[in-house]
Amino acid sequence: MQQYGLAEVRKRLPLLMAFIILFAVVLFFRLWYLQVARGAYYQELAENNRIRPVKLRPPRGIIYDRKGRPMVENELTFDISIVPEDAPDPDETVRRLAAFVDMPPAAIQRLIDEAEPVRGKYEPVKIREEAPWSEVAMVEARQEVLPGVIVEPEHRRHYPYGGMASHQFGYIGKVTQTQKKEEQADTGLLVGQSGIEKTYDRLLRGVAGRHMLQVNAAGMKVKDLGIDEPKHGTDLFLTLDLDVQRAAEDALGPRSGAVVAMDPNNGELIALVSHPTYDPNLFPRGIIAKDWVRLSNDPSHPLYNRAVQSVYPPGSTFKVVVSIAGLETGVINPNDEVTCKGYLVSGRRPFRCWKKGGHGTLSFHRGLVESCDVYFYTMGDRIGFDRVAEYARNLGMGEITGVPLADEKKGLVPTAAWKREKVREPWYPADNYMNSIGQGFMLVSPIQNCQLMSAVANGGIFFRPQILKRSRNRETGAEKIYPPVRTRKFPMKPEVLDEVRKALIGVTTEAGGTAHGAATRLGTVAGKTGTAQVIAQKVAGQKLSEETQDHAWFIGYAPAEQPRIAVAVLIEHGGHGGAAAAPVARKVIEEYLKNAGTQTAQ
Amino acid sequence: MLERRLLSNLSWSMVGLVTGIALFGLSAVYSATYTPTGPSSLFTKQLVWISLGIVVMFAALIPDYHTVGRYAYVLYALSVLFLVLVAIIGRTGMGAQRWLPLGPFAFQPSEFAKLSLVLALARYFAEDPRRGGYGLRDLGVPAAMVAVPLVLVLKQPDLGTALMLLFTTTLIIVLAGIRFRSVIAIAVIGAMVASLVFLVPPVRHKIWTSLKPYQQKRIKAFLDPASDPLGSGYHATQAKIAVGSGQTTGKGFRKGTQSQMAFLPERHTDFIFAVIAEERGFLGASFLIVIYVFFLLMGVETAKNAKDKMGVLMAGGIVSMLSLYVCINVGMAAGILPVVGVPLPLVSYGGTSIITTFLAIGLLLNIRSRRFMLFY
Repeated sequence: MQQYGLAEVRKRLPLLMAFIILFAVVLFFRLWYLQVARGAYYQELAENNRIRPVKLRPPRGIIYDRKGRPMVENELTFDISIVPEDAPDPDETVRRLAAFVDMPPAAIQRLIDEAEPVRGKYEPVKIREEAPWSEVAMVEARQEVLPGVIVEPEHRRHYPYGGMASHQFGYIGKVTQTQKKEEQADTGLLVGQSGIEKTYDRLLRGVAGRHMLQVNAAGMKVKDLGIDEPKHGTDLFLTLDLDVQRAAEDALGPRSGAVVAMDPNNGELIALVSHPTYDPNLFPRGIIAKDWVRLSNDPSHPLYNRAVQSVYPPGSTFKVVVSIAGLETGVINPNDEVTCKGYLVSGRRPFRCWKKGGHGTLSFHRGLVESCDVYFYTMGDRIGFDRVAEYARNLGMGEITGVPLADEKKGLVPTAAWKREKVREPWYPADNYMNSIGQGFMLVSPIQNCQLMSAVANGGIFFRPQILKRSRNRETGAEKIYPPVRTRKFPMKPEVLDEVRKALIGVTTEAGGTAHGAATRLGTVAGKTGTAQVIAQKVAGQKLSEETQDHAWFIGYAPAEQPRIAVAVLIEHGGHGGAAAAPVARKVIEEYLKNAGTQTAQ
Repeated sequence: MLERRLLSNLSWSMVGLVTGIALFGLSAVYSATYTPTGPSSLFTKQLVWISLGIVVMFAALIPDYHTVGRYAYVLYALSVLFLVLVAIIGRTGMGAQRWLPLGPFAFQPSEFAKLSLVLALARYFAEDPRRGGYGLRDLGVPAAMVAVPLVLVLKQPDLGTALMLLFTTTLIIVLAGIRFRSVIAIAVIGAMVASLVFLVPPVRHKIWTSLKPYQQKRIKAFLDPASDPLGSGYHATQAKIAVGSGQTTGKGFRKGTQSQMAFLPERHTDFIFAVIAEERGFLGASFLIVIYVFFLLMGVETAKNAKDKMGVLMAGGIVSMLSLYVCINVGMAAGILPVVGVPLPLVSYGGTSIITTFLAIGLLLNIRSRRFMLFY
């Protein structure tokens, strides 16, 4: 270690000491000047510190559909609020205000009292939200008799189509404690609490502004000190198509269920429906307790986004997966024939085909077109379900799709190992049978089933389902395009895809096909029906709803020659897939193909 | 053996001063962040940070400070790496990209960069064999050492930290022995640059527009707070009212109208001193300054008694850095310096700042404890 210069360096230390002492003395005198010499003056300033920064909430970004039609907007409304600290005689102010806004004084007082424990000092209490113009004008004009009363402009979230796509848009609400910390969100701002409003909250939110007001000691506004304008949130252009969404919602009608429509070429979601819906217009005002209780206790679970958060037995739609697994592994030879007598006996138990009299002798093509259970019992058993499960996973089941909406469920793809561990039972041949026709333990979500069709249509390419196409910053005009995200490719042999696709077309076109209801003149539809028995999903301890009708499925894509849309329809307790779900899919496909030539606006 | 001797040489009075300042600050954070529904979680977090900081402080006693010096360049490189990382993947807050997400926490590499720069400079000058003073040409390496983090920090942008890096380096160079002649040269160059910046409109314009809007506002507000007391000068004016209205004895704990009514922005971080001055008055505020001065002067004494150049420079550098923090932060709250974001060491809310400060103080204690040791 070098010791040169130690003495010189030490000699410099008094400089540092002098710096510290000098600065301390300066600070000491400065504080003495401010606090002691001028203390009384500043004390008065503090007491008369009557600058009220009135927070101006920024308008949230508008949400448009893929063609630039607004789906979620804002409405400018005015709230009449009171700042109790600014009212020299609060009782008097409350009494006078009551006359202006046509509310009993006791009701106003109650609102103030309720807000008291959670309110910061000088934070306004909202008395009359969305006040009519006449009241706003009166209050503004009679400021001198209403000390402490202010008018707050608010951009209120408005969902012009009510319940349409309500689960996808989500809703907004008061910022929670965790959000305040993690998102550095402003207090008093309304932020997205579910759906797109939550996922893209950072974009939609905007930046709060403030209106500086000076009030006098009597609490009256004496000076307008200017406005720091709030910054408008970023507008979003979704991949959803308003027309198709509406067609899907209408077709599903009052029934519980879900519709997912996706562009198989890029993973863009064209429609995403979950029924029953709720009215998101209830939330922007801060939902009333009564409404919340009603929604969350409703036995039909209207808050559930069935398209991504609910999983169902896939029923016969799963035969598509078994077919691919069988053909790819070579276990299924398209020409091999199986004879269906209406049931198959294994051990002592008969396993029934849905067609009582049986299908007779059929090979692969007719087996899938007519959805013969006996054919798939036989093939599922030959392939072995663990191998089928591997294909199911490769085709996206048992795994979330990554759609940017919260709480997506991944469903279940059972294997022998899984059953040993969870059910503590060995895998029986009966499990091979039942799971191969999509009963038993298999569970998939509507969006997974739509993704399956998309993959069959596009040759095994998987995209992350996309709902945001483009965003536009209102302040700068800058646009950002969100390109499709291709996640992986599951390679399948061309001859396998060919065989499966031909059979799926047969389902809607050939005699004996189960989904003629999905056929349309606008293009060939390829698809598969499914009828999932509800009774089979009974789990101990879970109460079954009175309805025990089967869930109806239809999954498909169109036009078969050059697919542009993949669809999955699920109707809870809808009955037969061909009768109930296929016509819904047809309406969705028709609406999309009809308008597909229309250019995206803007 | 070593440990016991270390402990007996440990300056408990310095530990006491440091703990005292931290607790005083903790009570101010409690008051400043108190919410209508009770103490804020920020208070609990700060408590955890301080406890953790004390552990870090004692841990910093264990290795010999020469060992720390040996790793100074590694630490420096690491901190530069963090700054680069933050530029790429950092989290943005208040118009600046300063934080690295670290699980549930956010790490602010610029805080760490200040300390590692001090250590690196201390090692550089300690190993430099030149006798006598430094001329301008001898300062190329140290200038480069400060330039790298400086540019990265300015890019975030974080003017406060950038200034801190610059001032701390200046103080260390003065300690290390710059020639008087060079000081004049630097002053002349500085004056020329400054006049270029301020007097040549195109240059001034270019620099001005490169600042973020909030920085422009703060500079404007400092030059003329009265021009816009509600917009840009708001921070400064409200802080001054807070400090002044505290008067001699203060308004009492959690009774500060300025602080409690949210007139005062950034009250638990950069303006925590204003909260103390308002609620504890002139007596409380000057008491805090006095214990800071005691602590800092003990630091200077540590440097003076250090056995070698490395010790002197390391201790001197750390004390310079802490003194600057205190002076700039308090000066800002008292309205004699412009508003730049600089925390009050041991007092302002913030995990990285608290931990780094305790680490620095731990090294100071380390040097102090080893002042009698002849062999190392």
